[in-house]
Amino acid sequence: MRKAIWMAAVTAAVAPSLLAGQSWRTVNTSHVIEDTDEVRVFVEYAAGRLKMRAADGGVLYRMKLRYDEEVFEPVSDLSGDRLRLGVESIGRGFRMGRRGQGGELDLEFARGIPIDMDLKFGAVQADIDLGGLALTDLDLSTGASQSRIDISEPNSMGMATARFEIGAAEFEARHLGNLNAERIEIDAGVGEITLWFDGRWQRDARVSIDMGLGALELRIPEGLGVRLEKDGFLVSLDSEGLVKRGDAYYSLDWEDADRRVRIDLDAAFGSVKVVWIR
Amino acid sequence: MPKLLFRSTLAALGIGLLVAPSAVPAQLRDVVSKEVAVSRSEATLRLEFTDDGTLEIAFEDGAVLINGDVVGVFVPGDDLEAEWRSLLSQAASLDDGELALTLSDWSAPTNLAGELANLAQSVDRALEDALSGFDVDFGSGDFRVSQSIGDGGSLLQMLLRSTSELGLLQQAMNGLGGDFNIHFGEDVDVPAGSTVDGPLVVIQGNVRIAGEVDGDVIVVDGTLELLEESRVRGEVRLADARLVRNLGTVEGGVHDLLDEERDLQAEIRNQVREEVRAELRSQLGRELRDAARLEFIDDDGGFSLMAPFRAVGNGVSHLFKNLMSVFVLGLIGVGVVTFAGPNMDTIAETVRRSPGRSAVVGLAGTLLLVPVWLLGAVVLCVSIIGIPVALAWLPLFPLAACAAGVMGYVVVARNTGEWLADSEYPWTGWIRKSNSVYTIFGGLLALMLAFMAANVISIAPFLGFVTGLLAFAGAVITFFAIQIGFGAVLLTRAGRRRERTASFDVDAAWEAAMGVDEEVDFEVPGDEAKEASDHA
Repeated sequence: MRKAIWMAAVTAAVAPSLLAGQSWRTVNTSHVIEDTDEVRVFVEYAAGRLKMRAADGGVLYRMKLRYDEEVFEPVSDLSGDRLRLGVESIGRGFRMGRRGQGGELDLEFARGIPIDMDLKFGAVQADIDLGGLALTDLDLSTGASQSRIDISEPNSMGMATARFEIGAAEFEARHLGNLNAERIEIDAGVGEITLWFDGRWQRDARVSIDMGLGALELRIPEGLGVRLEKDGFLVSLDSEGLVKRGDAYYSLDWEDADRRVRIDLDAAFGSVKVVWIR
Repeated sequence: MPKLLFRSTLAALGIGLLVAPSAVPAQLRDVVSKEVAVSRSEATLRLEFTDDGTLEIAFEDGAVLINGDVVGVFVPGDDLEAEWRSLLSQAASLDDGELALTLSDWSAPTNLAGELANLAQSVDRALEDALSGFDVDFGSGDFRVSQSIGDGGSLLQMLLRSTSELGLLQQAMNGLGGDFNIHFGEDVDVPAGSTVDGPLVVIQGNVRIAGEVDGDVIVVDGTLELLEESRVRGEVRLADARLVRNLGTVEGGVHDLLDEERDLQAEIRNQVREEVRAELRSQLGRELRDAARLEFIDDDGGFSLMAPFRAVGNGVSHLFKNLMSVFVLGLIGVGVVTFAGPNMDTIAETVRRSPGRSAVVGLAGTLLLVPVWLLGAVVLCVSIIGIPVALAWLPLFPLAACAAGVMGYVVVARNTGEWLADSEYPWTGWIRKSNSVYTIFGGLLALMLAFMAANVISIAPFLGFVTGLLAFAGAVITFFAIQIGFGAVLLTRAGRRRERTASFDVDAAWEAAMGVDEEVDFEVPGDEAKEASDHA
């Protein structure tokens, strides 16, 4: 969590440096699918708007990038099974676009190709749909961002752990069940976090949430067995629909539920609200 | 023999590639990776093919580069660049087959002329050469070769990648058609009285002509000797070849392709260099004109011959303001000395003894001024009795704070003046330490010296940085002087009480040294105590 807070602080500190003289460059790159077993994808993006989704057609990836060439240089490097995408700073300060005309990164990845995905964002407004991708691992790290993650279709591969490291952010994750992960770890610094536990749960899972300061909303579909264990300093919990037994809160149908999710919540300050969805 | 056949095959492949493309069915290479980069000064296309081949065509800063080599220049915004950008905008959204088809189908705009048309042709040819994979079915003499280009393992691909000679060969054979004689890896002798019909192509061989050639003579990687009475009815084209003797007649002239290529590249480089130079020259001229124009623009933006002298006027007027400030503050200082001399002495002593503490207190006091002011007003407004007081509090508190700041600054100036009087710096001999008027004015001049120097230097041109630096130094000095003085005023309650400082306690030191931790009370009779006190 400390790392997340530091990341947020650094991005928040540099983000407002509004300077003139931007020189925008647009790069479109794509690569067709060759003999590929699994791809390890690393995406780094400092600032701007980010969109990600599954690609149609026979491409491994498709990237459309708009960036300030005075400050960044594009990265699109496929070496063996490692694919690096995004931008790298060339060390001349940091600039944000004025009137919303900032950088943009549109990414598309092939369906059906196993992907070990590592995403790192700074001050980014992200709209990510991982639905349709075959994810074997997922690491997502954001700074001061507004991120919306959706797993609109079930992940066909399944993964051991999906990790989300969130700095100062407004973060929303939908259809977490579709991730097909044994464990989901969420490490949040400061922000407003909404987690939708809908989607198709193909196995029981553990969700670990470590939050510094902020509001957390857990949107849980009826029928999903939930066990919530809270550990915190000044945390208010609106545990509607949960029954406290011992140290933990249980959903009413915990014993009979087809799929069960154990949520371990560790928060310092803030509020936690449980909302049941149909 | 097999070696000769192999080499002949390669030559045939190369030649077939060069002369036959228009006559063979075409197929497109697979594009595995595409990059389209567009900015204000650049429009670049990068392609990577399945066989690891690449193509990069860049329109960048007025130059067209194909695979890193400058092939021509363009004027940003001209028809060719517009057409290229239009093609790239289509290519950006396409992949693989569609992309290759679109790029291959592109043709140079017909409305171009001259150099630009040639450049467009070069770009078009580069695209087609890179994207086209075609079957060659080429017969020559005793052998027939069938080879497919575009196959990753093809021999011809290796040839294309491994040698630059083929490029030269392409240039050498440009425009060649009909029947021609090819000799690969062998010397050719055209004896006197004999005639070779059609073009003569010799690759990696030496040619000796005493007779006549009814067409072009093309020599690649070899030598050519034209003896007396010899005649070539076409051109002589030398590609990486040497003309060792020229005693005959060449009707079409001799062309050394390498020289021509080098000349072309040099010409393009010179052209680019000249354009850059001209641009820089015009930009420099513009900037100089602008600078000169600015010198003669007055504050209203109009033209004025007096404008260059405004720096002098500004500098002098600011210097006058500095001196006026010194005068006014000095008068205030003299007033304080006259009417509140002891208070000033107390503050000055605190400044001298505890400058650091005074600065910290001053800084804290400055930060708390506004909150205290607001809080005081709120507290006073709570009660009916307090409301009239609040009406006085609101204007008087800021005035009192300003007065405290000015008083503190003047005190610091006096201390500075005293220090200058003690020093042996030149120009400080007039400051008499015993006279507060001198020390106050001397100190004020010293504290404002940086500002005054900045204003004097601002009169001179090209010293803006020094002016800024001195002004900054003046601001820092003034800030700390005010903070220290204000802090001392707060610590001494405007000089009404001495600052409590830790003093050396003899008794405590003795007790600490001797390990005495018991208090002993002595009873001293009243008279003896008075006597001791008087004695003390």
